[in-house]
Amino acid sequence: MTVEFTLNDEPLAVECEPHETLLGVLRRLGMISVRYGSDTGETGASAVLVDGRLVNTDCMLAAQAGGHDVVTVEHLNRAELHPIQAAFMATGAMQSGYSTPATILGTWALLQEDPDPSEEAIRDMLSGILDRETAYVKPVEAVRRAAAVMRGEGTDPFGPLVVPPMTDGRDPVEVDPDDPPPAASPAVPRLVPSRDVPDMAVVGKPEVKVDAIRLVKGNPAFTDDFHERGQLVAKVLRSPHAHARILDIDDRAARELPGVHAVLHYKNTPRIKYASGGQSWPNPHPYDQVSFDTKVRHVGDRVAAVAADTGEIAEEALRLIDVTYEVLPAVYDELEAMAEAAPVIHDEDDTTDIHDRERNIVHHIEAERGNVAAALAGADHVFEQTFRVHQVQQVPIENHISVAWLDSDERMVVRTATQVPFHTRRMLAPLIGMDIKDVRVIKPRIGGGFGAKQEMLIEDIVAHLALATRRPVKLELTREEEFMSSRTRHPQTLTYTTGVNADGTLVAQQLRLIGNTGPYGTHAYTVQTVSGLRGLTSYNCPNKRFDCDVVYTNIPVPGAYRGYGAPQAEYALEAHMEDIANELGLDPIEFKRKNWVKVGSELDIAPHLGERSVEEGELDEYPKVMSSGIEECVAQGQRATAWHRRLDPGWTTPPDRPHVRRGLGFAFCMHGTAIPFLDMGGCSIKINDDGSFNMLIGATDLGTGADTVIGQIAAEVLGVPLDDIKVYSSDTDVTPFDTGAYASSTTYISGTAAKLAAEKVRERIKERAARLLGVDEPCTIELRDRRAWAADGTSVSLEEIALHSLHTEDQEQIMGTASYVSPECPPPFAAQFAEVEVDVETGQVTVVKLVMAVDCGVAINPVTASGQVEGGMIQALGYAHCEEFAFDEGGRMLNARLGPYKIYRADEMPETEVFLIQTMEDSGPFGAKAVAEIPKDGVAPAVRNAILHATGARMRDLPFTPERVWRALQDQPR
Amino acid sequence: MPSVLAYHRPHSLEEASSLLADPHRRAIGGGTVAVPEARRPDDHGSEVVDLQGLGLDRVEVDGDGLRIGAMVRLGELLRDERVPELLRDLARRELPSALRNQATVGGTVALGESASVLLAGLLVHDAELALHPDETVALGALARPLEHRIVTAVSIAAGGLGAIVATGRTPADEPIVAAVARATDTGIRLALTGVAPVPVLIDPADPTAGLTPPADFRGSPEYRLHLAATLAARVLAQVTS
Repeated sequence: MTVEFTLNDEPLAVECEPHETLLGVLRRLGMISVRYGSDTGETGASAVLVDGRLVNTDCMLAAQAGGHDVVTVEHLNRAELHPIQAAFMATGAMQSGYSTPATILGTWALLQEDPDPSEEAIRDMLSGILDRETAYVKPVEAVRRAAAVMRGEGTDPFGPLVVPPMTDGRDPVEVDPDDPPPAASPAVPRLVPSRDVPDMAVVGKPEVKVDAIRLVKGNPAFTDDFHERGQLVAKVLRSPHAHARILDIDDRAARELPGVHAVLHYKNTPRIKYASGGQSWPNPHPYDQVSFDTKVRHVGDRVAAVAADTGEIAEEALRLIDVTYEVLPAVYDELEAMAEAAPVIHDEDDTTDIHDRERNIVHHIEAERGNVAAALAGADHVFEQTFRVHQVQQVPIENHISVAWLDSDERMVVRTATQVPFHTRRMLAPLIGMDIKDVRVIKPRIGGGFGAKQEMLIEDIVAHLALATRRPVKLELTREEEFMSSRTRHPQTLTYTTGVNADGTLVAQQLRLIGNTGPYGTHAYTVQTVSGLRGLTSYNCPNKRFDCDVVYTNIPVPGAYRGYGAPQAEYALEAHMEDIANELGLDPIEFKRKNWVKVGSELDIAPHLGERSVEEGELDEYPKVMSSGIEECVAQGQRATAWHRRLDPGWTTPPDRPHVRRGLGFAFCMHGTAIPFLDMGGCSIKINDDGSFNMLIGATDLGTGADTVIGQIAAEVLGVPLDDIKVYSSDTDVTPFDTGAYASSTTYISGTAAKLAAEKVRERIKERAARLLGVDEPCTIELRDRRAWAADGTSVSLEEIALHSLHTEDQEQIMGTASYVSPECPPPFAAQFAEVEVDVETGQVTVVKLVMAVDCGVAINPVTASGQVEGGMIQALGYAHCEEFAFDEGGRMLNARLGPYKIYRADEMPETEVFLIQTMEDSGPFGAKAVAEIPKDGVAPAVRNAILHATGARMRDLPFTPERVWRALQDQPR
Repeated sequence: MPSVLAYHRPHSLEEASSLLADPHRRAIGGGTVAVPEARRPDDHGSEVVDLQGLGLDRVEVDGDGLRIGAMVRLGELLRDERVPELLRDLARRELPSALRNQATVGGTVALGESASVLLAGLLVHDAELALHPDETVALGALARPLEHRIVTAVSIAAGGLGAIVATGRTPADEPIVAAVARATDTGIRLALTGVAPVPVLIDPADPTAGLTPPADFRGSPEYRLHLAATLAARVLAQVTS
């Protein structure tokens, strides 16, 4: 059919099929700023303006647009940025930027209707565009600033608010209730400087993201924005059963359907065992997966895959595949899965290294320091509590997507939304029978990952299909598939047993953990060890024990999710410690402070857990905490939340709202920075004729701003503005190796590699500068402002040095390559505060405010760092408050859709504030520690402890949904 | 087989009605629900009949009340100052911004979702549906489903004092249960969502009488009954204070 409409002021007549969405047609017309997030409009990634109104094109037929005016962000694109685009760049309002074009269009429509919108109106506009990354605070700021500029008003440069320290950096202080907290927009990071940190030119500055232009303009950036000639579309047939044997597959009808090019399943795909978690070689065992198996182990598990000319033909082919199943009993609960009568999930004989196959126990992990049993026996008090944490999902707005093709040399190229391009190359090669040297993995921009993309999840499917068809093949998961067949957070049952002396000193602490890894191991071993590590490191205690079983079940597969085992353990730990304090009649913060690790404390159980663990006695010395700003974090957070109100009954029990109780909660947070002796990143830098630099890194910016931060580090060393560093990441043919974006490692590891590479380049520049300036000692030369300066004040530009070195005399390419692996894992610290209101008649919890004060060392870029904290906190709030997988009796997810699976929208957000507490971490690049994951650790326990403060109810299970809280309130002694 | 075989945009109610006489055709308003459903692969394929060309997208003053065309988008309802405050608020609560600019009043009625606060609001505003060709039925008395009859407009009474009280997981979540009320000189109307297959008008004097709420992971029947009683009492206090 022909549809006539106006696209960005151009009248068009477009041939399309009746079933095509406007999204599909617009992308076909080259409007690739319009992006897929789901088929039902709830993500807003596909939003455009139709007759001036923001609408979703994924749930709209192209034919419906007939006769209307359609506007995409391409309409605004000129050489000069539109003021809205400029405002989004300046405020750090986009991280991955996947849905930024939609947000910019929504802003444009809003400002045409109302040039001075209220915050409520801005948030209402944003309510239709879900953002899993920014917590909406910086987008709201961007809209305000754009409005001001478009009204002809000026705005101040956007950057951090410097807040004077309240402590001496070491000791706690009593916070004066009359001392007002710093006032500024919530989007502004509050930066508390440290005297130990020198002023720098580029590091520590709110630089604009290096990829900002392509994101605000909706230029090609993401996997689906590039199209290979002759590209086919793949779809995957998925299991309707939680546990079944595949007795037979008849694919004849599917293969005979016109437009179908390949149908793959267990009968025609090699059976090669692997583990899909993107981890360093050798991947932890067991290798319990194959590309297409004779058994399915969860609803949504792979059965077969089709490549066809169109998605519709591929879908039709899936329906023509006849599968004969023998349905088997299934088990979902980690405790039931260990029982004698439970079905055995991996009964095949080619999966080895399962700890106890008959009881579905894939791993058993133990570690102990001292003697816990003896210490518990001698303790003045012993407390034991069990907590249950649930299954949630990362929900990147860009679903998993990969495209594979054979290049001119018939090597396999995979462009894919991955956090781990190098691991993917190494893991993929054997599955498709190719050598690593013949596989190339390209990571373009990624629309969020949060760990879900720390997997080799679908790359094998597209590569197998590309080999079978000799054509490029694309596979993009639907939102439902993303929920049911990508990765999730591990549910766990955690039991803490803690011995405390009468004076409040911990003498023994044990964590017994049962982890639920679904049907496949992927990250099972490492996530659970991180739970042990994080769950037993925060507090000093001479006797500690971790005892863990990781269990196979038939739920959708858990894997890596930002925080990686820490949010589960820190929830249970901070709840447990809070309850102990209350039982002992102690102030919770005082009790925790008495025991938490401080500068000089040993990280005593850390070396005994993880991929490179050692036995007790193998170490001469334990790693120690070398920097901690926790007391400053606590003081700033207490002032910002008016913590003294905790003791004011007029506040906790508002007389005018009889069914409301208010509460404040706190959680102490500690995370790690990279995996010592394992995480490695490489960097290569070369100079160009004009004195600028190309920087190649294997590090994987998944929207966090890693490219920007690593560029800032190099720019600082080389004495140039960030704009002179052209950053490219990551492509396994081109960039140096990097383990990938996980374990809070990128700034610390890849940033240090960049610093080392830049220092090598700097040495070469200094030598040539010394020669040009007639200076005998190159070490006296300094680089700044794009010039090399001698001690006598003479200077030569980097451009002159570059031209001289490339063209004039003793020519050389000034370049440097370096890599870095760390022996250290310096912990960032944070104080998380939450303010809640509990409706004691309905159980509804309203989170009013979240404040996080983080010691991440030196924030290389305070705007991107605060964006990490804001976004991380809101994901963590979802974990605490509203996100959960719900299943029917057959293991089918009931809420595989956003809305029923609830993530926070812009128009319902609590107030948030972020404090960045500087400390100088000497082992990190320019003093940096990690920031990306610690925001996931404290919200659930802080909200839980706030509910406890408000109502006295001790919540055990997550999330704190109304009925769960209401039942806890019913159960409470009155 | 492609999921959507044909697209029709009739320009008269008669044309629309005759197209929809074929059971393989389905009407779409904004299409936010019907389009994804129609595009889902199945054995038959379907045809869609888009009602946007029928001129049903106007809000008109009708005596003391309003006549709201079936194709009026929820976003336009929110922007129209003639629409009672309660209904504008409920139109905003019903869906987030972009979906709200697509979904229609008629589509909301046709879907009849249990959790729809806008439907509850229409109920307490004594809504009557105009069905093509010439039938009027009270929204509260409508036997489901609408089959292939076309809703052309929803007429509502204006005036009175309205309020909503709701419980959800988060402030903007689709409520587990919501109580919507309107007090006028002639009495109080009270409607609940989340306690029956569709939003229902109930007796303010005995709000839980005869209710057997459905269960899902967000709320058991027992909890929903508790919410019904609690929220009904609160909303009645608000409209009678």
